[in-house]
Amino acid sequence: MKNRYPYYILFVVVCIASSCTTVNITKYYSKHKPVLDSIEQTYKTQYRKQKFSLLFTDNKYKHLSLELLTDSIRYIYDFEIQETRLNDTLEKYHLDLSSMKLLIGNMQSVHCKWIDNLDYYVDEKKNYLVYMSMRKKTLRLPFVEPKYYVLSYFSQPQYYDSEGRLLDHRSRKRLRKINNEIFYRVNDKVCYTVSTLFR
Amino acid sequence: MKFSQTYWCKEFVQLFLCLCSSFVLFAANDNDTTQTSTREQAIAFVDKISELQPSIYWPHIKPALFLHNLKENVHQPLLLYEGTNTNFCGYAALSYLFMHDDPLGYTKLMLQLYTYGKAKIRNVSFQPSQPIKDVAGNLHFKGALDIRPVEQMWFLCLADHFKGYLNFLNTHYDPGDENKLWASVNYGKFNRMAKRLFNYKVNAAGSDLMRPYIHDMYEYLVNSMKQGITVLYLNNTILRKKYDRIKANIPSHYVILLDIQKVDDDLINITYWDYGFRTMRQLTPSFLNKIIFGISQCTIKKANEK
Repeated sequence: MKNRYPYYILFVVVCIASSCTTVNITKYYSKHKPVLDSIEQTYKTQYRKQKFSLLFTDNKYKHLSLELLTDSIRYIYDFEIQETRLNDTLEKYHLDLSSMKLLIGNMQSVHCKWIDNLDYYVDEKKNYLVYMSMRKKTLRLPFVEPKYYVLSYFSQPQYYDSEGRLLDHRSRKRLRKINNEIFYRVNDKVCYTVSTLFR
Repeated sequence: MKFSQTYWCKEFVQLFLCLCSSFVLFAANDNDTTQTSTREQAIAFVDKISELQPSIYWPHIKPALFLHNLKENVHQPLLLYEGTNTNFCGYAALSYLFMHDDPLGYTKLMLQLYTYGKAKIRNVSFQPSQPIKDVAGNLHFKGALDIRPVEQMWFLCLADHFKGYLNFLNTHYDPGDENKLWASVNYGKFNRMAKRLFNYKVNAAGSDLMRPYIHDMYEYLVNSMKQGITVLYLNNTILRKKYDRIKANIPSHYVILLDIQKVDDDLINITYWDYGFRTMRQLTPSFLNKIIFGISQCTIKKANEK
């Protein structure tokens, strides 16, 4: 009879190894900083022309969903990246083609799945942050949800507690949650979390 | 014998008259019709209010913010916002119905709740529990809901009052429950709320687990919209692609269908309202079939309609 123990042991080791992968997003951020910061800057510049968010709908980063927000209605379009329809739509909404190509290319290169401008409130005043999610590279195991590195770019420096957790106010009494997640410091204006939700 | 015949004849006439009178009373009963008003009436009413006093019942609601929010909802009802990461979508869809057909009733009910800490609409009495009163106006990190105390108060009251089978495991509010089963709305509960609160005639097709069998979904939705407001109960994880892998093929979101048009045989444009916005999206007929679990057609009830 064939001995199957080595396979069982191998399976258990793989499971343990994948579940214990250390999350070092600070390292990830410093490695990809130029690309990530460029994504944020390009997105912000284009967002000023037309409010939008981008989502890659497949794991090969070939299909995207473009959400365009006008004053009265939100349009959601699905495209394949090579489609000419995409360029037509970008032009129609006065988005700069070369900048958008750069943004899409950069998002593909760091596996950024979703980028959006989120509103949040401090003392009843509306503020914005750029919210982007990158697929974490791990083994895809059945029954294990994929995880995302989520980065939040604020316009102003933020307050953090001694453990590096994002605080909601200068009074430093309460943790600020974004999409129901606690965020941690990368630098004064950028913070991260790891989540099963990318948006 | 003659006496008896006359007696029965009289009895019959009396019974007939009695039935007729009760029929007239029944027909004239306002409770059997859906209460309606116009937006102009609501605007005229709310614009007369220049200031609100702080309410002893809602310690965290700021009166000026409440009034501003109420006026905004009356002037621009599409801005009503359910908040990010909450289970308030069912209550938001329900509020759309209320604000669409009876904005004056909505305005008066909100003011009644704010001023007296309780309110009554038809046979439903809202008497929110103390944890609800303590948290309304104090919900944070929910996007624009943070600065919309009217929605906070109203959605929390609805969730506190109406219970469906999804709420049985968590019937009492604890901080953070707005994201949990406490606030969730199953399909039966949604339809029940629409009938009991606003006396709509609700034609519902679908369920919490199985999609309705409808041969031509497009035609069905077009006809439904001609009758009244159509609420769709959808699988939002597919619609908004929230996860990489679909967790379970179950519905979780309510939207109001505003428009539907066939672009060609392969594509359908739908416009719906949710999260304070109208959204227009192009879908294939098969995708549309896949995401819809419930269609509730809510029509205004005229006198004597059941």
